[in-house]
Amino acid sequence: MIATTDSQRRWRRAFVIAGAIVAGYALLAPLTSLDVAQSANIPLLADKFWFRIATYIVMFVVMASAWNIIGGITGYAAFGNVAFFGIGAYTTGMLIAKAKWPFLLALPLAPVLAASFAALIGLPLLRLRGHYFAVASLGVGVALGELVQNIDYDGRPVFGGASGLFLPIYAVGHRGLFFFYLMCGAAALAIAVTWWVLRSRFGYGLIAIRENEEAAAVLGVNTTAYKVAAFALAAALTGLAGGIFSQWNVFINQDNAFPIEYNVQMILMALLGGTGTVFGPAAGALLLQLLIQFLGGSLPISLDIPFVSSEARPIIAQVILGLLLIVVVVFVPRGAIDFFGGRTRLSLAYLRRSLRETSL
Amino acid sequence: MSAAVSPQLELRGVTKRFGGVAAVDGVSFEVAKGDIVGIIGPNGAGKTTLLNCISGTQRLDRGDIRLNGSSIAGISPHRVAKLGIGRTFQIVKPFGSMTVRENAAIGALFGSAQARRGVAGAFALADEVLELVGLRAKADHPVSALTIPDRKRLEVARAVATRPQLLLLDEVMAGLNNVEVDDALDMVRAVHATGVTVLLIEHVMRVIVGVCRRAIVLDFGHVLAQGEPEVVLRDERVIQAYLGERYAKRLKS
Repeated sequence: MIATTDSQRRWRRAFVIAGAIVAGYALLAPLTSLDVAQSANIPLLADKFWFRIATYIVMFVVMASAWNIIGGITGYAAFGNVAFFGIGAYTTGMLIAKAKWPFLLALPLAPVLAASFAALIGLPLLRLRGHYFAVASLGVGVALGELVQNIDYDGRPVFGGASGLFLPIYAVGHRGLFFFYLMCGAAALAIAVTWWVLRSRFGYGLIAIRENEEAAAVLGVNTTAYKVAAFALAAALTGLAGGIFSQWNVFINQDNAFPIEYNVQMILMALLGGTGTVFGPAAGALLLQLLIQFLGGSLPISLDIPFVSSEARPIIAQVILGLLLIVVVVFVPRGAIDFFGGRTRLSLAYLRRSLRETSL
Repeated sequence: MSAAVSPQLELRGVTKRFGGVAAVDGVSFEVAKGDIVGIIGPNGAGKTTLLNCISGTQRLDRGDIRLNGSSIAGISPHRVAKLGIGRTFQIVKPFGSMTVRENAAIGALFGSAQARRGVAGAFALADEVLELVGLRAKADHPVSALTIPDRKRLEVARAVATRPQLLLLDEVMAGLNNVEVDDALDMVRAVHATGVTVLLIEHVMRVIVGVCRRAIVLDFGHVLAQGEPEVVLRDERVIQAYLGERYAKRLKS
């Protein structure tokens, strides 16, 4: 570690305090919807609408943190991680809807199946590097969504086909509260796994692969096994998010279980927050999801964008996200956590240096 | 040690082709335990390809490579490392985002069966090795702050941290000035003194004569001559290969 100065330590402390306040509010606000709180006249801080947005944000915390393990720490730009989300969603969905399994029994199989699939396709795919790996993994994500929608057996769609798959509603009191905290549990798991990876022998091996795969191999890192393990670990966490999503949303189809735009969003979140760090992807997920919801006009605080009708807002949101991706990659390549965490200060000199290093 | 003991490293007819060109063509030699052997030869003689075949980064087409009597031909690089062969690269390949200590620790975390240890133990071993190669004072520096000679040292430190029984050094002196070469020679001697067998590729003749007990000359993928460095370097065929036929004749007359 490079020695830290006082001002860096102050920045870091400010960042930790801000993060703790946001996390504390998000975790405690839902409790005000409980009957106990309502009868004690505590103001309602989280309604149904709040739960929906908050659960989405936390779901992306899981997916961005998971992507960070293969994309950020191992340095393999996976562009098709949504495949694992979809596998998780359909595994749990099929077990509940068709096999009548209880949700809590069907959920653990989502990460298991997603990880197995990742290990299987990882063996050939992870031989590719750079753009080739990115494009190939993107292809897998797209193909899988199409397969799920179009596989028929005996003239009937196996996975619900184009009309999707309906799940029975999970009978639990305070459904919104339940799924929010369940997703928070998955996010905590994803962050804890990242924290462990970055301190373990496994993680040092992954970083060595990212920095120079050939050097890592001659120093004794079993590169193939490590890459596949990282890919499977990312897939397991993403699949877990998908499994929770299917029962939470009650309805899944190709559009909401395999959304192509999630591929870009989780990468952008990890980049925005800071790849290879523990909390970077989580911070990026929070910032970006809030921005997406805001631009889409689904936040209570909204702003009219001039010359844009309300129907066109989601499209404008995509355009702005695309521009943001360019700005982040060019100017803030190490992510927001880099200056929030006190390692560097966000300044004009920093942006200029980044621009030079990106060498356009 | 009796003469009947099998050599630590044994190459038998090692051949590696790239299309129609045989970069290494039927190379055979032996390296005894505790020895320090230099491989020299003009550019394109196949020195680095030979090292790649031994360390597993390239698959040989024919022949056999044996370590302590058992074949290691065609096995993957990480398994070669685990068996106790460490190597450096001519063009250094440091882990750019890590500090000097972390770079060395990767070798100690993985490496040979003698290295492989937990994170805390690996960092302790890394410090020991950095002391040996003279980088202890810069342990906390990022790699980007290192000079070229220091990067070469780091390359050696990482390989030594794998606790190899045999160390392959690919031109660790290339691009260094005279003073830096002297320092690097001391480093190689220090590493060798810890009981590691060393096989090094070098262009700088002073290095071969200075530290090696034996030299092997490669030319167009063949072994041209081998023996004591002083004798080999006076060999007419070697002078021809290096300086051309005309110069060799003039030298003779």
